[in-house]
Amino acid sequence: MVLPGALAAPSQAAEDDPVTFVVGLTNEVDSFNPFLGIEAASFEMWALTYDYLVGYTMKDMSPAPALATEWDTSDDGLTWTFTMRDDAMWSDGEPLTAADVAYTYGRILDGGPEAATWSSYLKGVESVEAPDATTVVLTLKKPNAVLPLLPIPIVPEHIWKDVSEKDIKSYAAEPTDGQPVVGSGPFRLVEGTAGGSTYKFEANPDYWGGAPHVDEVAFRVFKSADPAVQALIKGEIDFVDNLSALQVQSLEGEDGITATSGDSPGFDEIAFNTGSVDLETGEPMGDPNPAVLDPAFRFALNFAVDREQLLRTVYQGGGKTGTTIIPPAYPDYRLELDDPDAFAFDLDKAGQLLDEAGYTLGSDGKRTMPNGDPIGTLRLASRSDSETSPDVMQFFQEWLGELGIDAEVETYESSKLTSVILDGTFDAFEWGWYVEPDPDSMLDYLTCGQRGNWSDSWYCNEEYDALYEQQHVEMDDAARQDQVKQMQEILYRDAPYLVTAYSSVGQAFRSDRFACFQPQPDPGGVWLLQYGSQNYLNLRPAADAGDCDGIATAVGAVTGSGGSGGTSGGSSDDEGMSTGAMVGIGVLAGLAVVGGGIVLMRRRATVDDRE
Amino acid sequence: MTILGRADYGRGGESQEDNLDSASSGRHGTYGRYVLSRCLGALGSLAFMLVLSFFLFRVMPGDPARTLGRGRFTSPEQLEEFNRTYGLDQPMLQQFVTFLKNTLTGDLGISLRYRVPVSDLILDRMWPTILLVGTSTILAGVIGIWLGVRGAWERGGKFDRISTGGSLTLYSMPEWWLGLLFIAVFAVGWGPIPGLFPTGGLHSIDAEPGTISGVLDTMWHLFLPVLTLTLAYLADYALIMRSSLLDELGEDYLTTARAKGLRDVQVRNRHAVRNALLPATTVVALSLGFVVTGAITIETVFSIPGLGLLATEALSVPDYWVLQGTFLVATSAVILANLAANLAYGLLDPRVRT
Repeated sequence: MVLPGALAAPSQAAEDDPVTFVVGLTNEVDSFNPFLGIEAASFEMWALTYDYLVGYTMKDMSPAPALATEWDTSDDGLTWTFTMRDDAMWSDGEPLTAADVAYTYGRILDGGPEAATWSSYLKGVESVEAPDATTVVLTLKKPNAVLPLLPIPIVPEHIWKDVSEKDIKSYAAEPTDGQPVVGSGPFRLVEGTAGGSTYKFEANPDYWGGAPHVDEVAFRVFKSADPAVQALIKGEIDFVDNLSALQVQSLEGEDGITATSGDSPGFDEIAFNTGSVDLETGEPMGDPNPAVLDPAFRFALNFAVDREQLLRTVYQGGGKTGTTIIPPAYPDYRLELDDPDAFAFDLDKAGQLLDEAGYTLGSDGKRTMPNGDPIGTLRLASRSDSETSPDVMQFFQEWLGELGIDAEVETYESSKLTSVILDGTFDAFEWGWYVEPDPDSMLDYLTCGQRGNWSDSWYCNEEYDALYEQQHVEMDDAARQDQVKQMQEILYRDAPYLVTAYSSVGQAFRSDRFACFQPQPDPGGVWLLQYGSQNYLNLRPAADAGDCDGIATAVGAVTGSGGSGGTSGGSSDDEGMSTGAMVGIGVLAGLAVVGGGIVLMRRRATVDDRE
Repeated sequence: MTILGRADYGRGGESQEDNLDSASSGRHGTYGRYVLSRCLGALGSLAFMLVLSFFLFRVMPGDPARTLGRGRFTSPEQLEEFNRTYGLDQPMLQQFVTFLKNTLTGDLGISLRYRVPVSDLILDRMWPTILLVGTSTILAGVIGIWLGVRGAWERGGKFDRISTGGSLTLYSMPEWWLGLLFIAVFAVGWGPIPGLFPTGGLHSIDAEPGTISGVLDTMWHLFLPVLTLTLAYLADYALIMRSSLLDELGEDYLTTARAKGLRDVQVRNRHAVRNALLPATTVVALSLGFVVTGAITIETVFSIPGLGLLATEALSVPDYWVLQGTFLVATSAVILANLAANLAYGLLDPRVRT
């Protein structure tokens, strides 16, 4: 472990040392079994271990060839034919064929825990077949425009056929008896257990997408971000994720570290109770304030949110101001309104719109309902487990106050808020969504059918639902994009959500040791915990960065100088280890001395006693 | 540990002398009944906790399928499938009967979050917690008692003022803050102080558990968290020991001991401390029972995967079986520690056997 030669660090000797890239995670893996896990970190592990049939581009996460090199749809959209590469292998030497894909999807179509996790991605799929080793055919009952988005890791049939339907609910898919997990991805899991504190992967030199440039990737789980930042500064880890904008700012000045607030495809919103109903009887349920049930009232409040100020003060400058539910990462489906003031902070305009809708100012300076009743106090629910949520609602409360509307901020745990939302006992709350590369799921959350399931605003609009059904089966991209934009216009007008901000994720890495991280979405995106595993193939020691195989946007694509700092990369870990061992020995020696001293003193004392 | 063991023995010896005449006959009969009643009491508490652990967490707000599934594209059918797989669709009473049956056969269920048997999870998380909190409790007990003894013996002196003031200051500092401070100074390095220790975790990524270097590596990782916890716990023991020793100082038997011509140290260690140790022993014994509940803040700051963290994280799901399991383990440990303390008292001091 401690090589004397490492101190001299000639570049040849360094090549013999395995190069390990260490990632600090603040989000742990809940399961290595791709049919069970849920956390973002688990998706990262599967992306390293397995392959997808269809992957993602770095630019905007649109479908890109992976195991499938090309795909085709029949005119009626009911048959999808995927043609696969023939050079993919499982890490135990077996070939990866179309049969494995059919097997994986088949397990999901058969129901059980696999279906609980994945079946929504195979919506409308009736059967999956593998007529030959490189062809997969999906037969659908109804066209599904979401395809070919298939973020389902393909598992080896010859291993998983021994995992029964009954056992899979607690099957760990972790290394057993020192044998790595069988996968086809660029790395394979050699050590680690879900909920553990470290996971270790070794490179798969025979990967069909090319051999990785590092020998090992290791993950260390941190339970809070501050110690992870300290570990990065010290050099114990090479990458850290999930930083706040403030932490990114503080790291920007550090030598050898590059930090960014990367755009992540998600948004935060202030949502209203647009009409909670008992789904069986259709009767109103819960106790929403009648004001928030009115689309005109909600639309007026769109101009009572100072998104610039929220971004500056609450989000500390990380992210972008929010507009619609499709984030800027997906420009094709995103609605851009022509009116530059569509999301402006304008309390006069908000007041004017409220006046027009009948919510006029009373003699006490408070606005009343159109029938003259007092509005009362709006309950603004925020999440106690979010750093930003209570602050956003405090600001919103102030702005409402300036309009003459009383409001109070309530704070709930997320799990408690979920039940409050389902009971309809709220007026507004603050939360956010992560938007998948296909807008379908996000659009679905606002349909009538999702009420009582994932709909949190109880929004229901027939025109919107009709467009949702249309776009879901529309196989023409341009037509579908148009429908999706129309849906967002309806949402703008009805305002079940006031999108406040597009979130960002702070990330930082040791740029003196590693290089070639391409952002996703490109430009402006995140470096790791992306869709797919592309950057684990791109990244390499800073000394070998070169032009990063021609990826112009990769961070650390050096031109010429910069080799001097790079060689220290491998050796400092070894120094750390030897320091560790030395300190450990020191502690042991100290304990021995103290213990010996106590024993001696006791013996002396007993001698005294006996005398 | 050695000091405590010796102290108990000494205490037992003395009380035996004191009470020799009153409890010389029929001793075994009474003690047997005492043991039986204490054990039955402990069993009763355990049964109560078993029932409580089920219902306590079921009345919590939250729906695991929804909490876990938020942000993932799932249909209502998929949520039902999840509930069916993990038995959450059963009526509450049915779930309770299954829970009783399974728990009594040693099956604690499957974690909803990690999807592995809860007993495996608890065993995995138990030893980091025991290493961390157990070591700190014992160290804090030993050092605290020593500080308390010296402080009381030379009360008002320089040592007393420094140790009392110091331990109180450390006691009032938030543990997580002290931990972060140690990380910044001793793990990252500050000014001339080199960063000797790791910033967190239980072992290095390439450490091999079971080898000498692996054990050293874990000790190296645990140094700062154990130091933080020991310093935070110190005041508890130091102050109790100090005040109970102060109570003994005016007693006549000390004057007698001095009159016999014993040296000051002998008067202190062999007479005063032995009589003053009982309250501190009680606190240490009880704290050992609480070891398995973990130290949530320190486990968070130093990223140590322990039981405290497991239980707190399970709350947000809520992961019923993990909560029930950790609750049962923690309450059983406290009940057993209490039982052991009671039985030991009964043995040491016949007066408590009524």
